[in-house]
Amino acid sequence: MYRKLIVLGLAAGLVLGLFTTGITEELAENQVLRIALDAADLNTLDPHRAAATMDRAVVDMVFNGLVRYKPGDILVFEPDLAVEIPEPTDGGLVWTFQLKQGVMVHPWDGNAGYELTAEDVVYSFNKAADPDRSSYAGEYGGMSFEAVDRYTVKITLAEPLSSMLFLPKVADYCGGFIVPKQPIEALGDDAFKTHPVGTGPFMFSEYVPMDKTVLVANPDYFRGAPVLEKVEVRYMPEVSSREYGLRSGELEVVEGRREQDWVETMEENPGIVVDVFGPGETVVLHFNLKREYIKKKAVRKAIAYALDRDSFLAFFGSTAEALYSPVPVKYLAGGLTYPELWAAGLAYNVDREEAKDLLADAGLADGFTMEAVTSERASYRRVYEQIQAQLARIGIDLKLKVVDHSTMHSLIREDTNPITIYIAWRANADVFLTRFYHSDSIVVTGAKSDTNFSHYTGIDDLIEAARSEVDADMQIALWKEAQREIAEYLVSYPLIMLKYIFARTDKVDWGYDLKSTVALYTQITENTRILK
Amino acid sequence: MQAIFDTQRACTVFDEGEAVTGYLVRRILLCIPILLAVLTLVFLLVRVAPGDPAVAALGDYASKEAVEALREKMGLNAPLYVQYFQFLSGLLHGDLGKSLITSRPVAAQVASAFPYTLELTASGILLGSFLGIPLGIFTALHRNAMFDYLGRLFSLVGLSVPAFYLGILLILLFAIKLELFPVVGGGNLSDLGETLRYLFLPALTLALIMMSYITRMTRSSVLDILNEDYVRTARAKGLRERLVVYKHVLKNALLPILSVIGMFAIVLIGSSVMTEVVFSRPGLGKMLVGAMKQRDYIMLQSIMVIFSSLVVLINLLTDLAYGFIDPRIRYE
Repeated sequence: MYRKLIVLGLAAGLVLGLFTTGITEELAENQVLRIALDAADLNTLDPHRAAATMDRAVVDMVFNGLVRYKPGDILVFEPDLAVEIPEPTDGGLVWTFQLKQGVMVHPWDGNAGYELTAEDVVYSFNKAADPDRSSYAGEYGGMSFEAVDRYTVKITLAEPLSSMLFLPKVADYCGGFIVPKQPIEALGDDAFKTHPVGTGPFMFSEYVPMDKTVLVANPDYFRGAPVLEKVEVRYMPEVSSREYGLRSGELEVVEGRREQDWVETMEENPGIVVDVFGPGETVVLHFNLKREYIKKKAVRKAIAYALDRDSFLAFFGSTAEALYSPVPVKYLAGGLTYPELWAAGLAYNVDREEAKDLLADAGLADGFTMEAVTSERASYRRVYEQIQAQLARIGIDLKLKVVDHSTMHSLIREDTNPITIYIAWRANADVFLTRFYHSDSIVVTGAKSDTNFSHYTGIDDLIEAARSEVDADMQIALWKEAQREIAEYLVSYPLIMLKYIFARTDKVDWGYDLKSTVALYTQITENTRILK
Repeated sequence: MQAIFDTQRACTVFDEGEAVTGYLVRRILLCIPILLAVLTLVFLLVRVAPGDPAVAALGDYASKEAVEALREKMGLNAPLYVQYFQFLSGLLHGDLGKSLITSRPVAAQVASAFPYTLELTASGILLGSFLGIPLGIFTALHRNAMFDYLGRLFSLVGLSVPAFYLGILLILLFAIKLELFPVVGGGNLSDLGETLRYLFLPALTLALIMMSYITRMTRSSVLDILNEDYVRTARAKGLRERLVVYKHVLKNALLPILSVIGMFAIVLIGSSVMTEVVFSRPGLGKMLVGAMKQRDYIMLQSIMVIFSSLVVLINLLTDLAYGFIDPRIRYE
């Protein structure tokens, strides 16, 4: 009897032991995560100026918003510095946020940290709304901010906004990051660029120009101290250097190249995992309606029929997915699905014979030649090269002039191209439509000249009506209507979405399920850890 | 008689010293217009090139107003001649200005990056010379033998392979396969052991390139000298081959080798840029690439000042070294 009990006890112990070792992975002794990004250096760590991956990555770890995109899933908002996500009052004009108590601002330059209050939040939003101190000021026009008491912030809008449009403005994204008042006033805006002070899970420790930014764990983080002790963000513009750094064990995570070949090559290395995640960026071809040939709708249709999304997808492999409307329906409300476009007869599936007929109808049976500038960056160049090859099949000779990335951005804003490929992510349907299709945004001549490369003026009323619509269903319907107009007139031709590619050692556990993130990198949170 | 001879020699040494000083002063004065011309050219070129630092700094999301406001703040809306004189005036006061992107003083950033570039190029030049000269002599002395063919082939490969590619090959062998050396960064300069570990592969990359040039030049120079009458005479006198080589051949062959070292040291500065990028060393080369991408005019100008000064300095040192090697050369 006793023997049976002992055997049973031992067996139970063994099973329990196996079970617990199975589920409790051991942490590595050294909790230092080194991540290399595709950049020679940082630009700015002021979150209200940060725009590129190398800056957004650091900002994401150092700062918080009132609400946040759930780590790894941009479709879900959850409270961040706020206790909860409130409902608007006063006909949708007022949003009142209760702040969590005990949120500590990081210590800086010998100053002790202090508790974040409504005064800091109001200061931060006023900074975000100031065009001299923020790149995102336009998002906060007509809004006023008030500290009702130590932990209550009231935001009053000039016109009601739906939660879909309002929440991104107060989330951990662009101007929504909360910059505490005391450190930035003490350091000054210029010094803040390379010495950020926030409330996030990691605190700024060191910046070595052209080399790295070092962050250390914030032991007082309001969600609990991070598992990682330190994060080193390395600036490494050469992809092969990043790759070898990962393979040699000197780096744990690296920004990859958006090419299927690269993904497959990296995955062949034992112990290396490649994360391909969304939302990525939309790749859209914008037709310049003022240019010879392109101003004819038949020519634009011919180009649309000549382009084959499947060829793009075959080339980019798992790093891309098809895009059918300017607003990516998979990640944002208000996009058009393929069935919706097909039903409206606006799918423009590849048909090169039809394309040639259209060109002949337009008096261009022998094709024509056009010239466009593109960036030296592979993502742009490869897309243009694919387009070039596909257009050649219907007799259109697209000559490409490769310039460096910043030059391309300057030139396309000077209305250089007859067709412009633009790769971008925007926070919501309104921003996508306003910045690419509203007449105010027309390059060079627009009232708020921006990225309307096509000179299109046909959907201003729909964009504005959707913006002030607070009923979500109605708002979505208006956005869809606007995009049907775009497809009907062929103002642009959405091609694909290029997703983000990062490779890591399989010892890195993000601590969340990585599907999509607006932080432009694999988010590192308080739960991210390195396993043995 | 001895006293007269000593006095004459002392006078000669004094005259020679005076001549060197005078030559040095003249050369340094000559460097000023050269540097000024280079700086003016760099100043104009970076501004003529398309692209906008404000756009580069703010990214494509920023509105036109934000870009315009930043341009104003950066001082880019000031007339070109105003910017130029501000730049020169700053230089004269030892102030390189502030980075347009990070607003940090450029001098401090350059000072922190310079040691990484200096140690890399210096070790590349030294290592390349120490390996290249003996190999060149050896291949010349064994002309048309197996070692000669191998040496020539090796130097041809070295001349043909770009620095970044060679760097990658070395990384694959020494860092990935053999796991001997690190590949990311420059290490902590205050730790000699760490510095050397991080320096080895990039320095070897440059050294192999330098060595290829020097090997070829040394071989050809030694071969020329070997055919000279005085070498034949020395051999006919029964001098040992080692003495012939080191006393008669190498000494006379050194002058063209030295000029090659000087010339290719300058080429090596260019190669160090890509080498620093490949090995992600936080030196001036990587800084230069970053400044170009970001259109950070102030940073770019400052780095070009440093590189131009280095080139001028190397030229000067090479010229001075001629006199030490060949006493027939006079500083006039």
